[in-house]
Amino acid sequence: MKSPKQVWLWFAGTRVGRSIFRVGLPESNLGRMQAMVSSFLLHLHPAKVHRHSLQFSSTLGLGLISLYLFLLLCITGVALMFFYVPSPEHAYDNMKDLEFVVSAGMIARNMHRWSAHLMVLCVFLHMCRVFYTGGYKPPREFNWVVGVGLFVMTLVLSFTGYLLPWDQLAFWAITVGTNIAGYAPVIGKKIQFLLLGGNIVGESALLRFYVLHVVVLPAAVVFMVALHLWRVRKDGGLSRPGEPDVLVPQSETGRLSTNKTYGLMELARGTSPAVGLDPADELPAWPHLVFREVLLFLATMAVVMFLSVFWNAPLEEFANPAHPPNPAKAPWYFLGLQELVAYSAFWGGVVVPALLLVALVALPYLDRERAGVGVWFARERRVAVTLFTLCVVAAVILTVIGTYFRGPNWGWVWPWAASVVVPH
Amino acid sequence: MNQGHSSPSAPRAPQPGKGDSRRDFIWLTLGWLASLFALGASGFATLRSLVPNVLYEPSRRFKAGRPGDYPDDTATFIEEVRLFIVRKGSTYRAMSAICPHLGCTVNATVGKHPFLCPCHGSHFSPDGAVMSGPSPRGLTWHALSLSKDGRLVVDLDRAVTHDKTLVIQA
Ligand code: HEM
Ligand code: FES
Repeated sequence: MKSPKQVWLWFAGTRVGRSIFRVGLPESNLGRMQAMVSSFLLHLHPAKVHRHSLQFSSTLGLGLISLYLFLLLCITGVALMFFYVPSPEHAYDNMKDLEFVVSAGMIARNMHRWSAHLMVLCVFLHMCRVFYTGGYKPPREFNWVVGVGLFVMTLVLSFTGYLLPWDQLAFWAITVGTNIAGYAPVIGKKIQFLLLGGNIVGESALLRFYVLHVVVLPAAVVFMVALHLWRVRKDGGLSRPGEPDVLVPQSETGRLSTNKTYGLMELARGTSPAVGLDPADELPAWPHLVFREVLLFLATMAVVMFLSVFWNAPLEEFANPAHPPNPAKAPWYFLGLQELVAYSAFWGGVVVPALLLVALVALPYLDRERAGVGVWFARERRVAVTLFTLCVVAAVILTVIGTYFRGPNWGWVWPWAASVVVPH
Repeated sequence: MNQGHSSPSAPRAPQPGKGDSRRDFIWLTLGWLASLFALGASGFATLRSLVPNVLYEPSRRFKAGRPGDYPDDTATFIEEVRLFIVRKGSTYRAMSAICPHLGCTVNATVGKHPFLCPCHGSHFSPDGAVMSGPSPRGLTWHALSLSKDGRLVVDLDRAVTHDKTLVIQA
């Protein structure tokens, strides 16, 4: 009886095996690094990783989990596309078919829905973790900006996604959402018309949101994620305490010179993981990083599966333009926004979100404190940490109010009071 | 920067640096302008194609039955167009049920404020004025007229002030 490893070694040693993998199963550190750079998927990784970056407590794995969820969303999304026609006549029935007619259809739909919710959550938490560990400080300012773009795209992807079932939630979310766009100064009404492809939420609006959801936005996210991960590497791996103080080495010819290189690695920045550091702090990415990645993927998959087996994705009644449900609530991650627009559509729906976005983008360029990188809640960053926390707490409070304290006609209710049933 | 655009038929004689750089400048400018124009025009055309020229939507001007179909002292809801026809004696008005806040449909209820919006809680008075909530405006009144064959005609593209009523003597 041969062990899987022996079978693998045998196959990797054959002519065919060598043509595919180039190197066999690595036995030495050099071999491990060769494995990393000569494999398409693995070469996205550095050959060596700093110990600090490998620690779970440095990142909580949130960026990777976001990435995995996006991957799951792409796969389950394509599976769903086989059963979905983007037209008001069919869309709702397609959802019913997925539940009652298509084998494993409901699981696919559940996985897609719960992964989407989790992705919004994880991307947000990832942003918080990067903030609280000072991960956006030089040279990583721009990657934070790319991240902000990804955060917005994640939200827009969810938004365009839940229009597609053409149920009550879908219809009223799009009605309210596109009307918010209409409050933008000067071009608001034009944008609204363009988004809907008309004056009413109907056929052309559904088709437009569908194309955005299945092609335009995912393609944009793939591009941005590629840029994001590439930058993580070019910016010298993950931020960590005691990083050598930056950046591009000076040189006459404009070529980058480094005092120590591993021939396998392309070095574009003086802070690449292996430069100027005690190699003792670094471990080969194979197996240390790759193993953790696989483990994290399995964990993500397990959670999504668990949710999808026990909870079905909601589907409200068929869209009815004459009667919104009462109360008509957005999904949880937009309830903070809904609470804001319940005070004023212009201020809560346009001005506040726009200002927040500008503040997020400007943050790494405004915050000049250089200390505290790679440390959670560093004392030197007390002011920044407090301000950011206030924003997060405000967002959470608004969301909780919208979720639990708002009842019929968006009136205040106490969640523990008996629920009021409103006839439509 | 002087390679790349000498024409083969007229080999360029070596010239003093000045003339050369001016020629470069002109070509470069033209090249950039042409490229930007091509990009801009394609971008604009793509965007423009997404602005519909024809709308396959219900007509914004339509007939809404005979005046006698509406009982006195009521607000009748026409679902398909989200509109109330309000009759008081011989006066008729058409009031939109679309909340001016963010476009939900208001409910007609019995109570102090007869029109409530479920989405963010705007309340409206019987003649559509905002009583509370985030709506920046009252409900819209639409132009109402009588056609030759004696039907009410609503024009959703024309808003009127709320003292404009259609008076029909029975
Ligand atoms: C689709 C969404 C996103 C994906 C898939 C993603 C993925 C990743 C991954 C895999 C990492 C490596 C480290 C880690 O796992 O934490 C990372 C790092 C980073 N991310 Fe993201 N990210 C996303 C959104 C964001 C957002 C919203 C921000 C901030 C606004 C952001 C800013 C950063 C920064 C600055 C780093 C480097 C952190 C450091 O060096 O400590 N990312 N991202
Ligand atoms: S849509 Fe009516 S209150 Fe917001």
